[in-house]
Amino acid sequence: MRLRSLTDRGRVEGELDKELRFHLDQQIEENIASGLELEEARYAAMRRLGGAEQIKEECRDMRQTAYLEDLGKDLRYTGRALRKSPGFAVAIVLTLGLSIGANSAIFSVIEGVLLKPLPYPQADRIVRLFFSSNSYPRFPLNPFDFRDFRSRSHSFDSLAAFTRSDVQLSGSGEPVRLAAFRVTAGYFRVLGLGLQQGREFGPEDELPGSSRVVILSDRIWRTQFGAAPDIVGRKITLDSQPFTVVGVMPPGTEHPGNDYHALPYGDSVDAWWPFTFDGDPNQRGSHYMEGIGRLKPGKTPAEAQAEMNALVTEVSREHGREGGGWHMLVVPLYREIVGADERMLLVLLGAVGLVLLIACANAANLLLARATARQREIAVRMALGAARSRLLRQMLTESLLLALVGGGFGALLALGGVRALVALLPAGFPRSDSIHVNASVFGFTLLVALATGLLFGLVPAMQSSRVDVQQALREGARGATGSKHHQRLRNALVVAEVGLASVLLVGAGLMLRSFVNLLRLDPGFRPDHVLTANLSLPDTEYKTPVSALHFEDQLTANLAAAPGVKYAGIGTDLPWTGYDENDGGFLIQGEQPPPRQEFHARYHFASPDYFRALGIPLVRGRFFTDADNHDAPAVLIINATMARLYWSHGDALGGRVSFEDNPKEKDWFTVVGIVGDVKDRPASSGAEPAFWWPMAVVPLVNGGVMSVAVRSDSDTAGLANVLRREVHRLDPALAVADVRQMDQIADANIATARFSLFLVALFAALAIVLAAIGTYGVISYSVGQRTHEFGMRMALGAGRRDVLRLVLSQGIQLALSGVILGAAGALALARLLRSLIFEVSPADPLTFAAVGMLVLIVAVVACYLPARRATEADPMIALRSE
Amino acid sequence: MSKPSDLIQGTLDLLILKTISLEPKHGWAIAKRIEQVSNEALQITQGALYPALHRLEQQGWIRGEWRASETGREAKFYALTRAGRSQLEKELAQWERLSNAVALVIKMV
Repeated sequence: MRLRSLTDRGRVEGELDKELRFHLDQQIEENIASGLELEEARYAAMRRLGGAEQIKEECRDMRQTAYLEDLGKDLRYTGRALRKSPGFAVAIVLTLGLSIGANSAIFSVIEGVLLKPLPYPQADRIVRLFFSSNSYPRFPLNPFDFRDFRSRSHSFDSLAAFTRSDVQLSGSGEPVRLAAFRVTAGYFRVLGLGLQQGREFGPEDELPGSSRVVILSDRIWRTQFGAAPDIVGRKITLDSQPFTVVGVMPPGTEHPGNDYHALPYGDSVDAWWPFTFDGDPNQRGSHYMEGIGRLKPGKTPAEAQAEMNALVTEVSREHGREGGGWHMLVVPLYREIVGADERMLLVLLGAVGLVLLIACANAANLLLARATARQREIAVRMALGAARSRLLRQMLTESLLLALVGGGFGALLALGGVRALVALLPAGFPRSDSIHVNASVFGFTLLVALATGLLFGLVPAMQSSRVDVQQALREGARGATGSKHHQRLRNALVVAEVGLASVLLVGAGLMLRSFVNLLRLDPGFRPDHVLTANLSLPDTEYKTPVSALHFEDQLTANLAAAPGVKYAGIGTDLPWTGYDENDGGFLIQGEQPPPRQEFHARYHFASPDYFRALGIPLVRGRFFTDADNHDAPAVLIINATMARLYWSHGDALGGRVSFEDNPKEKDWFTVVGIVGDVKDRPASSGAEPAFWWPMAVVPLVNGGVMSVAVRSDSDTAGLANVLRREVHRLDPALAVADVRQMDQIADANIATARFSLFLVALFAALAIVLAAIGTYGVISYSVGQRTHEFGMRMALGAGRRDVLRLVLSQGIQLALSGVILGAAGALALARLLRSLIFEVSPADPLTFAAVGMLVLIVAVVACYLPARRATEADPMIALRSE
Repeated sequence: MSKPSDLIQGTLDLLILKTISLEPKHGWAIAKRIEQVSNEALQITQGALYPALHRLEQQGWIRGEWRASETGREAKFYALTRAGRSQLEKELAQWERLSNAVALVIKMV
């Protein structure tokens, strides 16, 4: 039926006509029968029938097909109207497209990082477990503690622990360092991941002395073994030991992220090998296992945490370690992975949302100006019988069409923008490879476009369809002056735009200030002209400390002799790389730890030139020398924080530290040097206490993993080759891994701050440009309306400067109201920024003042052209037309 | 826009359905019939009648058919469909309930 009336519209229209005609004729006949003349009868009948067109329109409405027909008509009408004023259409589509595109791009990042479920089945049941105390909020687990927890807890389907333990793969070509983890049995069951081929590790693999087995990643299987189908069962050489491959993980096996020798979340692991519970189960001092578990269905992390806390107390009591204030932290894996970046992404979404609101206000302003210009046309259409609802619908069609075209343009922009965004993301940003423009991003774009169209279309449409027909027609060609209400609305929109832009500018200003603070911050070392790399001496090759020490001495000496090299040093770690080895409970001669606490500090090892190579300054005393070896008196270097915190009575320099409970004279280490502090991260609140042992005393620490730092007096460009050459000259089987400039490491630590600053600044710039366009539009429109007035004023003796001042002050008034509103809004919102800004108050007066000045200047610039035009009003024309 | 403001909302539908329940009628005849039967108390304006007819037809309760009228001219006659008949019964029952209820209230208070 509905279809019929659509398809043969002509016939239906004819019938409707005929039907009403019949009714009219019947009425005329009746009127004649009651004694009227023919003409009179017809006239009376027509009066009685009322507006035939209106009845027809209503009948069509009743048939509902009208909607589709009207839509077609509206679209054609809109198309015609927009073709007539392409500048208007292009301006709206461009601004909307830009801001919708920016929104879609940010949304696709949010979708990929925050909204997309983690790539593990029932990922919401996976939690990370940390030991926790007041001084160490997130501490790794001890393996034997973990084993007790695993056998006694009832909250988990499965519980596993893992620890970073890279291996060196050799046998074909240059040796390769594999990013590897030692994992307990059932690690992959916790993640819910199956193997591509082979088997997972079982309890038998955890036993000390069990045969060496390994599971490879799909990537290593393909790149190193040519995807050999017979890989399972094959023997390969890792760290110069034969290992049997027992399985291969499927592609896209994501590492859940870890803290200890951190490897970021993602497809970053090359191999997994079993953790074996070697050693004495009663020695529970060292903590290096990271816990992960899959909760039983229906268990909450809080319940699991309560159970684990009880277990921690129980296990500690059994081993006489009560009172350390330790408990267990159970964190959902999702929080753990995206928690740190969630706030930043949501702030970005908020910022880009503000830009969209500004674009909406702009579009609404343009539509309002146009609606005012079209007031007469609208009045005429209403006088001719167009229903108000019909006009509303037609105008909304226009705004929706504009928004949809803008949305399409925005979607195209988002496609390119997302690629740029991902490239800009800090290295190691969680889940950055799952950011794509997909169906949900397009759905989001469509929704935003529709909402935008309604938002900026509705108010102008309501306004202009409320036109007073009689007045609008009477005012004739002079144009509507009765648009005071419109002008007020337009002013309000501009004030809102300026206000929103001010909020963004304040945000960008605060982030800029904190970024500058980060850059100005003294890192505690000099990252320029330093090349670094990591080495790992396998203990199978370097069986004695002497052989390792020989290698280390030779390498530093050879490197230092190479052309262009100033200093070459070796240490356990590099600054700002997440190193977190701690020692607690040592003794300091003549000092007592604070009550219920023990002395604790980061421990490191360093070769003599390590500090010089990294540019860590000596505060007092001396650096290590080649003489500080096994046979010499035991010495230590400590950092300034440790000196300040732990020596309340005597001088730290020359003070003595022992790591034995009942030290003999030879067990005392003398502090020979105090070096400057290096914080864990640039924005850390302070440095941790730390000390260094001479490398020569224990040359094979940490499984032989060490960092090399080489300072050059000029360019570090050729240094990487020198470093590789020198290492391979001593040992061709060693992999030189993570070759990086220290600059790059330092830079990676401020990458997130730079990323968010860049985007917020970009959005703020977009916002202020949009607000300037909006201000320009409104002032220029109002000048157009008041040309006559200005002419009169000048005829009455006002100078050009007076007129200029009049217009400019109008613009400044608007901008000032906007700035005040924006400042209030920024103050209210700045709390959200607190975690993103560094050493700046959210109410930083400098930022607020600078933003206020900037906005006012932009407003003056935006008003200047219209103001100039106002001064060109011709007094003669004004007088003549009066 | 002329709305049957003197008729309770929805009553016009009932009147139309009832009026054509005995035999098909064209618009003019429907209006005339309602006026006659109600002793001119109910005046049906065309502005209300025709949209209502088209809506009822759209809903499938009545069906229009072009036939020769009494005067020999072609007119669109509306007849009840099967769905329209059951709709009429429903609306009659509802009207009955409503008017009884109103009558009760008026008597009691």
